[in-house]
Formats: sequence, structure tokens, C-alpha cells
Amino acid sequence: MSMENINYKEEVRRKTSKPLLWIGIVSIIMFFSGLTSAVVVSQGGGSFLKIDLPFAFTISTLIIIASSAAFHFGLISVKKGNLAIAKISVLVTLVLGLSFILTQFLGWVALYENEVYAVGSQSTQESSYLYLLTALHIAHLLGGLISLIVVLVKTIKERYSVDNMLGMQVSITYWHFLGGLWIYLFFFLRYIIA
Amino acid sequence: MSAHHHKEDFLFKYVFSTDHKMISKQFLVTGFLMGFLGLVMSTLFRLQLGWPGESFEVIDMFMGSWAEDGVMSPDKYLALVTMHGTIMVFFLLTAGLSGTFSNLLIPLQIGARDMASGFLNMLSYWFFFLSSVIMLISLFVEGGAASAGWTIYPPLSALPQAIPGSGAGMTLWLVAMAIFIVSSLLGSLNYIVTIFNLRTVGMTMTRMPLTIWAFLFTAIIGVLSFPVLLSCALLLIFDRSFGTSFYLSDIYIGGQVLEHSGGSPILFEHLFWFLGHPEVYIVLLPALGITSEIISTMTRKPIFGYRAMIGSMMAIGFLSFIVWGHHMFLTGMNPFLGSVFTFTTLLIAIPSAVKVFNYLTTLWKGNIRFTPATLFSIGLVSTFITGGVTGLVLGDSALDINVHDTYFVVGHFHIVMGLSAIFGMFAGVYHWFPKLFGRMMNNKLGNVHFWLTIICAYGVFFPMHFLGFAGVPRRYYTNSEFPMFDNMIDINEFISMFAILAFFAQLIFFFNFVYSAFRGPRAPQNPWKGNTLEWTAPVEHFHGNWYGEIPHVYRWPYDYSKVDANGDYVSGEDYIPQTVPLGDNEKDGGH
Amino acid sequence: MTIIVVVAIILLVITGSQLLKIAELRAKSKGELIYEVTEKEGKNLGLMLFAGFFVFMGFFAWQMWKWYGLRLPVSASVHGESIDFLSDLTYFIITPVFILTHAILLWFCYKYAYSSKRKAVFFSHSNKLELIWTTVPSIALTVLILIGLNTWNNTMAPVPEETEHVLLEVTSQQFTWTARYAGEDKKLGRSHVTLIEGVNATGIDKEDENSNDDKLVKGEFHLPVGVPVQFVFRSLDVIHSAYMPHFRAQMNCVPGLKTQFNFVPKITTKEMKKITDNEDFEYILLCNKICGAAHYNMQMNIIVESQEDYDKWLAEQKTFGE
Ligand code: HEM
Ligand SMILES: [Cu+2]
Ligand SMILES: [Cu+2]
Repeated sequence: MSMENINYKEEVRRKTSKPLLWIGIVSIIMFFSGLTSAVVVSQGGGSFLKIDLPFAFTISTLIIIASSAAFHFGLISVKKGNLAIAKISVLVTLVLGLSFILTQFLGWVALYENEVYAVGSQSTQESSYLYLLTALHIAHLLGGLISLIVVLVKTIKERYSVDNMLGMQVSITYWHFLGGLWIYLFFFLRYIIA
Repeated sequence: MSAHHHKEDFLFKYVFSTDHKMISKQFLVTGFLMGFLGLVMSTLFRLQLGWPGESFEVIDMFMGSWAEDGVMSPDKYLALVTMHGTIMVFFLLTAGLSGTFSNLLIPLQIGARDMASGFLNMLSYWFFFLSSVIMLISLFVEGGAASAGWTIYPPLSALPQAIPGSGAGMTLWLVAMAIFIVSSLLGSLNYIVTIFNLRTVGMTMTRMPLTIWAFLFTAIIGVLSFPVLLSCALLLIFDRSFGTSFYLSDIYIGGQVLEHSGGSPILFEHLFWFLGHPEVYIVLLPALGITSEIISTMTRKPIFGYRAMIGSMMAIGFLSFIVWGHHMFLTGMNPFLGSVFTFTTLLIAIPSAVKVFNYLTTLWKGNIRFTPATLFSIGLVSTFITGGVTGLVLGDSALDINVHDTYFVVGHFHIVMGLSAIFGMFAGVYHWFPKLFGRMMNNKLGNVHFWLTIICAYGVFFPMHFLGFAGVPRRYYTNSEFPMFDNMIDINEFISMFAILAFFAQLIFFFNFVYSAFRGPRAPQNPWKGNTLEWTAPVEHFHGNWYGEIPHVYRWPYDYSKVDANGDYVSGEDYIPQTVPLGDNEKDGGH
Repeated sequence: MTIIVVVAIILLVITGSQLLKIAELRAKSKGELIYEVTEKEGKNLGLMLFAGFFVFMGFFAWQMWKWYGLRLPVSASVHGESIDFLSDLTYFIITPVFILTHAILLWFCYKYAYSSKRKAVFFSHSNKLELIWTTVPSIALTVLILIGLNTWNNTMAPVPEETEHVLLEVTSQQFTWTARYAGEDKKLGRSHVTLIEGVNATGIDKEDENSNDDKLVKGEFHLPVGVPVQFVFRSLDVIHSAYMPHFRAQMNCVPGLKTQFNFVPKITTKEMKKITDNEDFEYILLCNKICGAAHYNMQMNIIVESQEDYDKWLAEQKTFGE
């Protein structure tokens, strides 16, 4: 492979990584709009029972905001060339990301204790929607976690620098998006279902 | 080079290739294979419709235990119709058409060495392949394939008690479609980003060929609508497999009241048609783009109204998102909402009309070369008109009351969407065959294929309107249960005979295709004297498309027969490739 | 049998390949490129396309002559007449468009087939033309939309409570129809699938006092001529669609939802037998939404008759209470 070819590939990567992510995000937004408008349409009959939203979901909202902040801090550190702090920040982000999943799970446990079921004959539409939306958010979060792990490894190996941090930028955009998505879902669930 | 290395080469060159040209061929071949199966299915159920209850050896041969004594049973008839519709719409005309030509032409026509992400592109194909395999496997499970129509409305699609195909067959259908959606999204993502970011020097947006514009709008529509179908399918999967009640409520079937309550099948219809209608344009726009390009090249004239063509595609794309309700006029929706959907639907006729008139004006005073590609493009304009005008009937809610779900609809959508798109696809294959395989297809066979196909196409689908006038419903296994339809047997026989002939006509195409791919005469680099960039690339395929630097672009793609003040061709010939710099005093674009 | 077919196919493919090869070699020896369309061939194809116009229109006319007569007879309901009018108007607009555009398309194909003596005209846009063909369709559409919306709204408006009318519930179920008349009190009793039990096959609430005088019929139902009928549709299992083509009436039956339609029948079955010149003519209600294996055979007869005949027939039917 010639030198020119490698440069071209690099250029393509530089030009297209972020747009690819953005369009991907658009399709995820459409996916969740489809689901949340389904909730609104279903609710149209007015027969929606209200469900108490467990406190764990509020905590997880705070956690995911914190994780976004930590990640952002990591990015700034890389920009400033302070890799040691960057390593810690990304690690913290990862830990917070995992705790987010944990608190979501605790939320489900709380729901279950309150006899709010996901599926089966005792489930209602609103309870199913509740579990489904949160679970699908986590499914998308898994992708974010994988990219986070990759970023962590690369930070530890000190692969990033001021002029080479595309991978990190892509990962952080997606992570912020997931945070925003959760906040949207949280308020949506709070005011529509709960 | 060791044998081992050689094997690896083969694997990455032909199987897990990330080269857009190879992926394009993979999409084409897989799409055509699926399309062929869809065609076989339609021929088989046309036998039943033309001669209801008669025993046929071919039916026995193909369907075995699904057809006792060579007569298919009613539920297997529905299974075939459902699979036929699904395969034709999604596998042949979405993945097969868009996948083939977006992949082939986007990098080549905008001057890029490959797609933004070759890896995602390869994944896109393999998801499509997997989805095709699962869809085919679903034909062979207990209870048979999905049988609720390609629109799979619940509760029918949700309850195995309602129809056997709603058991394992429907589960696999849903799994296959979910994978298909992922494939389609990965493809669209790549197309959009490539078009926006990887154009060569000088290739401004308004110098892009209309094909690229069409693929761009198609991909955008796909990215916005397919995820909604995914959410729609997901809820159905939950209702079917986990006992939730998103779509189901108050159902008594098989002597039992089901536990589902509170859901609404209408919700499904909304979510489904939010994709379903844009899907029609996902199928159609690439075909329109392809013919725009071919008609301009073959008439040796610039496409008339380049900007209007883009504008009308944009308008069609936008409107396609706010018309879905025209499939639901009779679901008990609020009549006011029905009025709104009627209004938006009929509006689509305006950009469509603009496109047709622009095609006609492009032909006017042209110098038309009739290759098979030209013939099929003309065929597309014809079917687009014929099918388009009846859209005015169906889009009008008041008129829809009496023709909804009759054969009038079957005639309408086959002509405007099925035929137009498949003609566009044929045209594209004939035209870009030299780019795909480095060889030429045979013209004479192409002509025969065209004439037989268009005659049969109208022979099959035009009479269906008359069935509709008589009120014959679609998705009927036979009309013989109603004395009022006794007179229709003639029409049905007539249609079926043309359908059988149509089947054989396609064999000519497949023969030509396979023969030419391997033994056809070698293609020159620019056989049609086209302006666009793909004809500046060497005939042989290699990853990267151009040796040396990617050509730069200096003009729009439609400088055909451009003359100077003396009436002589500016370049001495009737075409000027996009790579030729503008002369002094020469203006770019259609001025 | 299968073997013969396979052998025949193989032979056909081989012969085809050989013929193509020969044609190619012949062209080569003459110094021609086989894939190039000669001027003469082009002219011929253009001519064939133009001839195609007449064949196509001939085919169209032939079908009209042969099959147009099979269409549904005149509308048997009052609103159906305005639908038919709108339908005629629409065809009046689209048929000329269909014919004219085809004439132009295929005439151009002949007229402008390739000739080495001619140059194509570089004509790439014209605001005036484009404006014309945006506005003309818009005007035609405005007319269609306005009349269409008017017809639609009139058709869908429910029968006012105080108007004398027949209230009729139609329940669909794989693969039969049941009709229920509201009875003396002009009110339908409550119903729900959970109440289905034995002979009470559509789940009517016995406790509801409105139920007792309701009358259930199967196989056929009767309607008095000239009186508005308010239909309410229910479904017990999957989606069906109640299609009454002669009345230009159709509405989906959706489980868990009540849908409505109404019309005024204006031609009795007897009169229609005369109009269609068919002794066996019957109005029919058929299912028009895929609903299962026997979807193709889910029907009920409708009989429209004079008020007296109708009253007599209704009186003979048993009430739910009985
Ligand atoms: C020779 C080719 C074809 C023939 C003879 C044919 C025939 C038919 C017929 C008769 C039906 C209606 C069956 C019924 O309602 O009972 C049907 C359904 C359908 N066809 Fe085709 N067709 C052909 C090609 C295509 C193509 C190219 C498309 C692509 C758009 C297509 C898409 C569909 C769809 C979407 C349905 C509806 C399936 C459903 O009701 O669920 N067909 N076809
Ligand atoms: Cu539509
Ligand atoms: Cu039915």
C-alpha cells in the first residue's frame, strides 16, 4: 500500500468519523421518537395508570450527568496535555457508567417490589413501556461502554494528544448523547407514565 | 505466493470485500436471486387465481405438502402472497436496487476511492445476506411462512390461533426484518456521509449527477423512517412472545378470551405506515435518479430542469413523511385527520407531475439512442404516469372508501412502484453493466426482454383496475365464493396468462446477464459517451477506483450537445466530461 | 418429466450461448461493435415505440369495451352518488392526462430517434415552462381536493340522534358476520368479549336493560329503503373490514374499538335486480381486510326493501331476551 493511500485513508477517517456518528444518532433519535410517540398514542385513550417512579432513577440521572462531566474533563485534560488526569477522568467515567446501569437495575428491582411487572398477565401497557424504554436505553449504553473501554485503554497507553484525539471526541459525543437521551426519557417517563 | 495466502485473497476479494464495487455486485446478485424467488411465487399464486382449484403439476413440484394434489391451500396462498410482497419490496427493490446502485455509483460519480467506511458497508451487506437467509428459512418452519400480508397487521400477525403462519414463520419474519433494518441503516449512513464529505475537488453539490441526489434523498428518508419500523416491530415481538399488550385488546379467539387488554392495533398501523409510505419512495427515488441520468445521456441533451428535479425529489421526500394516513382512512380515524391526509397526499402529485414533464421536455429535440437502458427508462416514464394518475383516485379519501384494498390498489401500486422501480433497476443494470462487470450485455436480447416485459407488465396489471371497479377485494384466495364475481374469471385468466409469459421473459434477462458477465464482449471505458466521473475510471476493478490522483471536476454533468455561438459543438463532440475545464466565456450549469 | 425439462433447459442455454457468440464474431468480422445501436435499428425502435402508443391505447379501449361493463352498478346509497360523481370527475381529468402524456412521450421517441445528421438542442431549463407545469396541476388538484373533502365530510358525518334512523351493530369474527338491531328502545345493549358464553356468541351484556329487545341476525340483514342506517362495527378477534361495495361503503372492524359508518339505501333489492337485469342479484357485505385462511369467504347478504316489508321481517326476528 502506497504512502498516498495511507494518507487518503487517514483523511477519510478524519472527515467522516463524526458525521457517521451524527447520522447514527439521528437514527437512534428516530427510533426513540417512534417509541415515545407510541406511548403518547397509547395514552390517547386516557386510561393510563400512574406508576411511582423509583427514586433510583433520579439518582441514576445524577450519575449519568456526572459521568458526562468527568468525560468532558478528561477531554480537556488531553487537550492541555495532562494525560495523568485524563486517565483518571476516563476511569471515573467508566465507573460512573457502570454504576448508572447498576442504579437502573435497582430501579427495576424497586418497581418489581411494587408489583409493577414488565411482561406477563399482570403487566400493563404503561409498565411494559417503562421497562422497555429503560432497557433499550441501556442497550444503546452498552455500545457507549465498549467505546469507553477502548478509549480508556488508549488513554492508558497514551495514544491521545492534542492533535490526535478523534476517537475520544467521537466517543464523548456519543456518551453525551446517551446522557441527553436518558434525561429526555426520565422526564418523559416522569410526566407521561409516572 | 503460498496457496494459503491465495485463499485468503479470495476470501477478502469476493466474500468479505470492503470494496464498494464488489459489495455492489453482491447486493445485485443477492437481490436478483431473492427477486427471482418472489417472481416464482407470484407465478404460482397467479395459477391459483387464474384457474382456481385446478391442479397443476408445477404447484405440486414447488410446493409439495403445501399443496395437496397440486392445489395450494388458502393459508399457503396467503403465505406466498405475503412472502412475495415482502421479498419484492424490501429485498429486491430496497436492498437490491438501492444497495447495488448507491454502492456502485456514489464513490465513482462523486470521485471517492470508496465509501466512508468500507467496514460498515461490508457489514451492511452481510446483515442483508443473513436477513435473506432467515427470511427464506421461514418458509420451511412449522405452520409455514408469515401469512398476514406484507403489512403484518396485528392481531392477525400476533396470534398463531388466527392463522398458522403467525407462529414460528412470523417470528422469523420479524427477526429477518430487524436485521434487514440494521443493514439498511448501515448502508444509508455510509451513503449520506460519503456524499457530504468525500466529493472530489470541484464536485460541488450542484454539480452532482441526479443519481447521487436521488440516492442521497433515499438514504435520508431511510435513516428517518426505518428506525420507526424497528420500534414498531419490536413492540410486536414483545406482544407475540412476552405477553405484553401494546397492540392487543379485547380479543376472543379459538373459544377463549385472551388476557391482553388496553392495546390498539391502530397504533401498529400508524407506526408501520410512518415507514411504509416513505418506503415507497425509498424504492422509487433511486429508479427515478437512474432514469434521469440515462435519459439525459441517451438523448444527448442536458436533463431539463436540473434544479426542479432536485427540488421535486426533495418535496416528494418531505411530503412522504406526512401522508402515511392515506393507508388508514377507513380505520375509524377522525374524519378531519382524514381530510388533512387527503390534502397532503394529493400535493405529492405536483412534484411528480413536474418530474414527468421534465422527462418529456428532455426527450424533446433530443437525439435519442435506443439501448435497452433507454427503452426501460422510457418504460419507467410510462408506468410512472399510468400508475401515478390512479394515485389521485386512491389518495382522495372519499374515493378510497370504495376502492380501498381492492384489486384497483394492487394494479396501482404494482404499476407505479413495482414496475417503475424494477424498470429503473433493469435500465441501471443494462447501462452500468460495463462498469459492474467490464463487459457488455447483448442488445438484441435486451430489446426482446424489454418488449416482452412491458407488454406483459401492462397485460398483468392494467386489467386489475377493472377488477377493482367491480369491487373484487385483494388477498382473496379465489373469487368463486361470490356469484357477483363470476364474470371476473375471464379477466383473471387473462392476467395469469400474461404473468406466466412475464416469468419466461425474465429468464431471457437472467440468461443475458449471466452469459454477458462471463463471456460478453469486453467493454470500452466509456461506451455510452457519458460525462460523469465513473466513465473516467479504468474498466478493470481495483480498490481505489483511479490510478494516480482522483480526477478534478470543473462542470456539471449534463453538458451534452453544448454548442458555441457558431452552432458547433464546444468540445468538437456531443459530450464534455466533467473533468474538462470550462473554456473562456463558458458558463457552468444549464446556462 | 423433470429430467426432460432439465435437459431441455441445458440445451437451450447452450444453443443461446453459441448463437450469441456467433453474432458477436460476425459483427467483429464486419468491423462493427455488437453493442452499438445502428441508426436504422434506432429508427425502428422509435417507430415501434410510437406504434406502441396505438397498441396501448387500443388495448385500453378494448378493455373498456370488454370489462368496463362489469363494474359495480349505480350507487344504491345516497352519498354514493356524490362519490360516483367525484370518481367520474377524477377520471375525466386523469384519462386525458394519461393519453396525452403517452402520446407525447412515444411520439418524441419516434421523432427524435438518433440521426447522425441532427444535433440535439441544448435546452436545460425554462422558468416559464416549469411554472406552467407546476400551476396547471395545482389548479386541477385544488378542484379535486375541495370537492373530495366536501364529499368525505358529508359521508363521514354521523346520523344526528334526532333523525329517524336504523341503528345497527355489525360484529365480525373469523369468518362470519353478526348483525344486531337496536330494537324498540333504539339503544344497543353493552357488549364485551369477556361476556361471550354459549349461545351469547358476541358477548352481549344480559344485565344491561337495553340488551333485551336487541335483535341478532346472521346470514342476511334487512334495511328499509330511504331511511338512514347508522352502523357500528366491532370485531371479536382480528381486524376485518366491512365492505358493502354497492353502497360505496366500507369501514374497518377493529378489536377493542368501535367504528362507524352510515348511509341511506335508496334502491331496493327488487329494483336493483331489474336495473342489473339479473334475477339473482343480491347486495352483499364482504370482508375486505386479510383476516385468515377463509378471508375469501366471509359474507352476509343485505336486503333492502320497503318499510312495510322490513317491519314485517323484523317483527319475525327473535329478541335477545327471548
Ligand atoms: C410478474 C410480476 C408480478 C406479479 C404477477 C405480481 C402479482 C401480484 C398479485 C396478483 C398480488 C396480489 C395478490 C392478492 O392480493 O391476493 C401481488 C401482491 C403484491 N405484490 Fe406483486 N406481482 C409481481 C411483481 C411485483 C413487484 C415487482 C413488486 C414490487 C413492488 C410486487 C409487490 C407486491 C406487493 C407489496 C404485494 C402485496 C402483498 C400483500 O398483499 O401483502 N409485486 N402481486
Ligand atoms: Cu402511502
Ligand atoms: Cu374477515
